[in-house]
Amino acid sequence: MLKIIFKKLIFIPIASFIVSSLAFLVVNVTPGDPVEVIAGGIASEETKNEIRAELGLDKNLTERYLSYLNDLSEGSLGSSFYTKVPVLESINQYLFDTFELIIMSLIIALFLGFIFGSMGAYFRGKFPDKISNLILSVIQAVPDFFLGLLLIYFLFYKLQLVPVPVGRLGLLDIPPEEVTGGLLIDSIIAGNWDTFKTGLRHAILPSITLGIFYSSYFGRTTRNVLGNALNSNQVEFAKALGLSKLRVFLYALVDARTPIITYIAILFAGLFGASAIIETVFAWNGIGGWAIDKILMLDIPAIQGFILFAGLITLFTYTFLDILITFIDPRIRKKTI
Amino acid sequence: MNNLRHLVKKENLFVALSSLVLLFFSFGAFFINFQHDPYITDIANRLLEPNEVYKFGTDEVGFDVFSRTIVAGKIDLFISLSGTIVALVIGLPLGLLASEKTKRAERIMRMLDMFQAFPLLVLAIVIVAMWGNNIRNVIFAIILINVPRFTRLIRSEALTVRERRFIEVAIAMGGSNLRIIFKHLMPNILGTLLAQASITTAHSIVVVAALSFIGIGVVPPEASWGSMIRAGSQYMTTGQWWTSLFPGLAILLCVLSFNTISQYILRKYESI
Repeated sequence: MLKIIFKKLIFIPIASFIVSSLAFLVVNVTPGDPVEVIAGGIASEETKNEIRAELGLDKNLTERYLSYLNDLSEGSLGSSFYTKVPVLESINQYLFDTFELIIMSLIIALFLGFIFGSMGAYFRGKFPDKISNLILSVIQAVPDFFLGLLLIYFLFYKLQLVPVPVGRLGLLDIPPEEVTGGLLIDSIIAGNWDTFKTGLRHAILPSITLGIFYSSYFGRTTRNVLGNALNSNQVEFAKALGLSKLRVFLYALVDARTPIITYIAILFAGLFGASAIIETVFAWNGIGGWAIDKILMLDIPAIQGFILFAGLITLFTYTFLDILITFIDPRIRKKTI
Repeated sequence: MNNLRHLVKKENLFVALSSLVLLFFSFGAFFINFQHDPYITDIANRLLEPNEVYKFGTDEVGFDVFSRTIVAGKIDLFISLSGTIVALVIGLPLGLLASEKTKRAERIMRMLDMFQAFPLLVLAIVIVAMWGNNIRNVIFAIILINVPRFTRLIRSEALTVRERRFIEVAIAMGGSNLRIIFKHLMPNILGTLLAQASITTAHSIVVVAALSFIGIGVVPPEASWGSMIRAGSQYMTTGQWWTSLFPGLAILLCVLSFNTISQYILRKYESI
């Protein structure tokens, strides 16, 4: 057991190195000259050279890569080209806001996806399965940002159930003292329940949007794995023993736990990047919205930092998942030894 | 039996409808004689509700939503389709190579694993933002994020097929590597491959739309569904729904159509 965990963990430093190199490559190997875009068409050669020197773009690729690695080893991701704020500080500031959104969306996605998925699995091929399949197909085909706009129209404009879909609090609300950077967590820590409630009301639209959208993916997976489990021999045996329907269902669920948990982890890691556009739609002030702003401004150090961070989060999530699965599923444990 | 025939017919109907939708959005712009030019603004009639003259209304600068929704189709579908096809053409040999049981194959797969650790949509955004707003770069971004997917899929499919008895027989009969790949492997993975290509195209439509939604890639005055949704997005809070709704529905229809076709292909190949 320890050996497996050790094997997984020893992979992390190597993988981190590759992830950080790829993050560098994506941003630095471009056919055009980013300085042209940053400086704009009318800038003089002198200004361009200044920008180049400041960004370190006057050096060649190898030198830049080495200085990037050097910075990384000192725990620095560089500073924003425009605001001079250290990238790590910004990431730290926005990270928990995004985590809050992801967690809330994930809960909604799992709840809805589980309902649709188990409906389809239990009544496979029958009417409820067809209905859930239809719903999931349509949800899957709507782009998430468009879904967000539709929800804004219906829930805000038509029904007025939610506050103005901009930002995390109203204009007059005072944010709580920053501890983690996440607004909801901070207001709980400060014991400020009014702010917490307002924050939660503002979170309804974006988290429902992402939740509904990703419920389609989770629902599909649940339907397939749970459907297979419900058709397995042990479930047949359980039925033959005369166990109640609910108990049989629970047994099938236990059987299907590994792929379901795997998919939750994949969704979690995927949402980290996928939430970016929804964050811009709702001005959420999370790390994804921040990253898109920076990308559009071609703030190279910030983009690099974000890509690296997103890669690392995925890497750690998957490693954690691997270890978790060997704990909860003896079948996998046997295979890897 | 009667029931079954009924089902088959219904399925064919859906596939036919899907194909029609896709053909309409791909080529409709070439045949329809638009009442209003999609590239000329009518400044006096901005943000007009759908009416007799403007069937789908006008947007904030006075563009006709109806003609632009249709014109955008040919651009968005062209980008998604060509990106997918090129990704498939690159991914196919890579996936077949990776399905061999060698060290080299292992290495290809590990590299792709690393690549998939990044949020792919953000990667596409970075590429287009850094390389500049044009259709070529959008296509390139689509290719880049889809090659790993195809490679992975083709590898896993090829691995399962390679296990089967007839491949063993072909090897025992002295079939060359190329012969085995083209004669035995390819026909058996073709169905999954085409089905996946269809899904990937659907997914690419959404990626292209997402790019133009945040303002890069295909940008105005060029028409694209994403930028049209973007133009209408701020008016959703004040109730002017038409600028965003129609391009959004167009995306929905196309994605649904590609998904339907994909399922159809899968079922066809399964039954063989």
